[in-house]
Amino acid sequence: MPKVFVTGLGFITSIGNDRATVSRSLRELNHGMQLYPPFQKPEVPVKVAAPIRDFNVESADPEDWTFPSAYRIRRDVLRSLSPNSLFAYCAMQQAIKDAALNDGDISNEETGLYAASGGSPHLLARLVNQMHAQGVMRCPPLGIVASIAGTVQFNLVAHFKIRGASTGFSSACASSSHAMGFAYDEIVLGRQSRMFVIGAEDGNVETILPFAGMRALSANVDPATASRPFDVARDGFVGTGGAAVLVLESEDEVRRRGVTPYCEVAGWGQASDGHNVAISHPEGTGLRIAMERALRSCGLRVQDIDYVNAHATSTPIGDLSEVKALKAVLGPEAARVAVSSTKALTGHGLSLAGAMESGFCALALREGFIPGSAHITQLDPACAGMNIPRTTETASCRVMLNNSSGFGGANVCVVLRRA
Amino acid sequence: MPDVVPSSGASHARAEAAPKPFTPEDEVAVRDSLKRCSPATVEAALLFRRTLDPVHLPVIVLGVIERFVESELRPKLRDGDDDLRLVEDLGVDSLTMMEIVMLVEEVLQMQTNNDELRNLRTVGDVKTFIDCKIRGLPLPKPTKFIPVEQVVAVMPIQPPFLFINEAQVGSAGAQGKYKITGQEFFLQGHFKNNPVLPASIMLEALGQLAVLYLLEGSLGEPGRTIDPTKIFFTSCEGVRCHRVCRPGDVLTLSIRPKRAKMPLATFEGSIRVGQEKAAVAEEITLTFAYAEEAPVPAPVVEANGVVEVARPAVATVPNLAAAVSA
Repeated sequence: MPKVFVTGLGFITSIGNDRATVSRSLRELNHGMQLYPPFQKPEVPVKVAAPIRDFNVESADPEDWTFPSAYRIRRDVLRSLSPNSLFAYCAMQQAIKDAALNDGDISNEETGLYAASGGSPHLLARLVNQMHAQGVMRCPPLGIVASIAGTVQFNLVAHFKIRGASTGFSSACASSSHAMGFAYDEIVLGRQSRMFVIGAEDGNVETILPFAGMRALSANVDPATASRPFDVARDGFVGTGGAAVLVLESEDEVRRRGVTPYCEVAGWGQASDGHNVAISHPEGTGLRIAMERALRSCGLRVQDIDYVNAHATSTPIGDLSEVKALKAVLGPEAARVAVSSTKALTGHGLSLAGAMESGFCALALREGFIPGSAHITQLDPACAGMNIPRTTETASCRVMLNNSSGFGGANVCVVLRRA
Repeated sequence: MPDVVPSSGASHARAEAAPKPFTPEDEVAVRDSLKRCSPATVEAALLFRRTLDPVHLPVIVLGVIERFVESELRPKLRDGDDDLRLVEDLGVDSLTMMEIVMLVEEVLQMQTNNDELRNLRTVGDVKTFIDCKIRGLPLPKPTKFIPVEQVVAVMPIQPPFLFINEAQVGSAGAQGKYKITGQEFFLQGHFKNNPVLPASIMLEALGQLAVLYLLEGSLGEPGRTIDPTKIFFTSCEGVRCHRVCRPGDVLTLSIRPKRAKMPLATFEGSIRVGQEKAAVAEEITLTFAYAEEAPVPAPVVEANGVVEVARPAVATVPNLAAAVSA
């Protein structure tokens, strides 16, 4: 089967706005949580979030936004961006540079782009309110493009002149892993030779706070412990936003361009719980099948796995389901295979999570480390018998799995292998 | 004629209607709307809203356009004239045009409809359009693009002595292009082994564009047709040449009417090559006469295979009703 490689990465995340900072944060377990100013009101039941630093995108008018001066963006580009597509635009520039792609490599029929984001509820709400208050003819002409789900690929495909396959994925917190899986397929099937994979979210009041309504957010007011997957005292996730971009390329392209890949994308699998719209299956059935399929897709055995980047968001039910799925898949190997959740550091990025964490795995495979699972004071007894490292370890790994689960019981597992 | 619906009451009946008082809240709103425009634009807008005096409109409209033009193109707008084309010269696409019009509407408290915006091709078109809306005057005829076949069909002057390849004619003036091919017969002798377009031909080209403008009917009495066989060159004043033009150069010709009184029509004209000034004529005057019989409604001309000369040319501007693919 044709091989697919990761050749470029870009990050705008709560733990760093470039690859080097992200790597350092993963090694030193620097988290991105803070007492998020918009939450510091009596009526808001959660206080902690993991926002993006050095960007101010609060205004509904993109021309008011501030962002690092390294990114110069023309007004006619800026006007149709949402906060998350701005993050994606910046991460895309990093990834292009990282992969050493020239303009011709980006804009051709063999290069596509798959993206995932929940759109911009903030801008959509502003647009709809403005439409009702002032009439539709007084609304920004590009308000729709900037706000609906799909805004990331609308903007990036146009502005980077992408001419191959493009679409978006909408499976909530599994979205960008779906994007990754189907981008891999495009290359394996020979339809494309290069794919950009993007996950992005605004990570603001409108994307995060609604989860408090379903009691999914941590009420913990301490930024240092609010997100603690696998800890017995975990009480919900901490929201975040940002963007991650991965460049996937065929073996032929890697050879032609003479670049050194981060790792290989070895395969992927997905399965659904068929259980509940928002609660994961208590036995983690869908996730178990997704992992098994992913391994089967690339002919790997459980004995080959070194590390699993768990979806574990720090919710009581979700982490438990995943632990059961992992134990079912790993069997006796559970005591050896390292499992951690980097969401202890980043928070949960929703549609961003899958791409961001596959990006972390790609970094870890190339740089030789296993990210630790931070903020565990007392391990949940349900995790007994598992190898959950509390700190980042130096390790030369061969195979890493990245799990993602989303609403509706969608589960995706991506397999990454040392190149 | 579409109705003007200015919410400030500045309509056809503006003379009778007292302007709505301009409140401090209105001023705050104007300043906020124009926060990314030059101070001069803000001042002009405030003066306009207080007085409804259209004299302030050009500054406001230019200021709003400038705010939406990328900074590297702004000098062009400041130095340029009303012939600057929104799409080609200023990079203003149809969506940006919409933003420009929305901001102007907001600040001037007027309303437009999309159909009226489709034919705005130049900065001058936008200024004229806004001015007419505010004064409650009929909208000018839209700028019309005239390809070479139609130029040939309409003009009394024919090759090899026709120096217009294509033209755009609006009420405020006309623009044309002529590429010096090197095959022009007179270049064989002007000069020996050194082909240079004669200054007299530059002047002739401007005169021809003025003829085309007259024939398009933007000047003269409504309902009367100018006879193409009765237009002649009368005089010119203040002609200066700034640049030698040679084969390969594309001349951008511009003329603008200064005054017209039967039987004379006077224009000012200029020629550019790219952004370089090639020649100016402060005044070019033509005589003209109307056709004898009362004009019949322009029929579809069908002669020698040249079809539909009377039909308006299809504008090449992107449609303002946005080519939205949703």
